[in-house]
Amino acid sequence: MKIKQILRDGETWKGILIILALSLAIGTVSNLGLIKKFLRGEFRQAFFTREEYPGLVFITLPEVEELWHNQKALVVDSRPVSEFRRGHVPGAISVPLEEVKGGNYDPLERLTTAKPLIIYCEGGDCLTSLNLARLLHERGFRDLRVFSGGWAEWLAAGLPVEREDGGF
Amino acid sequence: MAVFNNRNFLLLLRLIVGGVFIWAAVTKIADPLAFAQDVRNYRLVGQTLSFLTAIFLPWVELIAGVCLVIGVYPRSSAFLISGLLAFFIVLVAVTMVRGIDVDCGCFGTFSRKADLWLILEDSVWLVLSLVLLFSPANDFCLLKRSQKPLSLI
Repeated sequence: MKIKQILRDGETWKGILIILALSLAIGTVSNLGLIKKFLRGEFRQAFFTREEYPGLVFITLPEVEELWHNQKALVVDSRPVSEFRRGHVPGAISVPLEEVKGGNYDPLERLTTAKPLIIYCEGGDCLTSLNLARLLHERGFRDLRVFSGGWAEWLAAGLPVEREDGGF
Repeated sequence: MAVFNNRNFLLLLRLIVGGVFIWAAVTKIADPLAFAQDVRNYRLVGQTLSFLTAIFLPWVELIAGVCLVIGVYPRSSAFLISGLLAFFIVLVAVTMVRGIDVDCGCFGTFSRKADLWLILEDSVWLVLSLVLLFSPANDFCLLKRSQKPLSLI
């Protein structure tokens, strides 16, 4: 059959419309609970429910600065080691998501559950901080604060930078 | 080619392609939020569109898959499935070019990296689906199409 015939065939379009309409209807009905939560703004920053990840919250730069300055939290850098070496939040611990995901849990040994963990990545649209936070949650860490503004926002604010050029 | 007109071969293709889509859909329907995050990870659309995709796309896959298997609007299903596969291929290619390392989100927790292999695999599915789309007729259908010859339409 030729594409022209298929496109001219009303049956094809009728079927497509029926499938799409059914999907829309069933998708809406079966996800009413989630849709309500979405409309309440629960998934504005990430897709998880409060019940799933209690203790995981998003924080802004002023909160990060306050916690960091008063040493009330551990700062965790989820970016690759190479980027960490080029510059990071002073005192931050490097826990590259890619390594932990690859099964290397050694970087986690430097973390503690005694203090809140502030996790950041590049900033902008980066998601490694959130993904690391979920992973840490699964490994028993509970007070997790994701700084979604990330490294970009920290740099733009002119805050101190620590560099580590070798011997990491 | 004669094999592409063989009614048993076409039925087998429908079962395979439809079955894969049903399986892919079920893994996503089971956890819409995880799939929404997978969509978001591609960094192509924002939160709202990722959410809407996760709510509706798996149902399109499921219903199109079921329709293909049981033979209700099989050509429409093959059309939708081909369109989706073409879209997935472009999406993965664009994501690779942008240098984004992402899980494909194809089969829920059974997902793997969005890479060249995935493009090849999706291409094979696309070819099979296109064979169905352009096949002369579909037998073994639950719903028979109205008997108007196509040349009159």
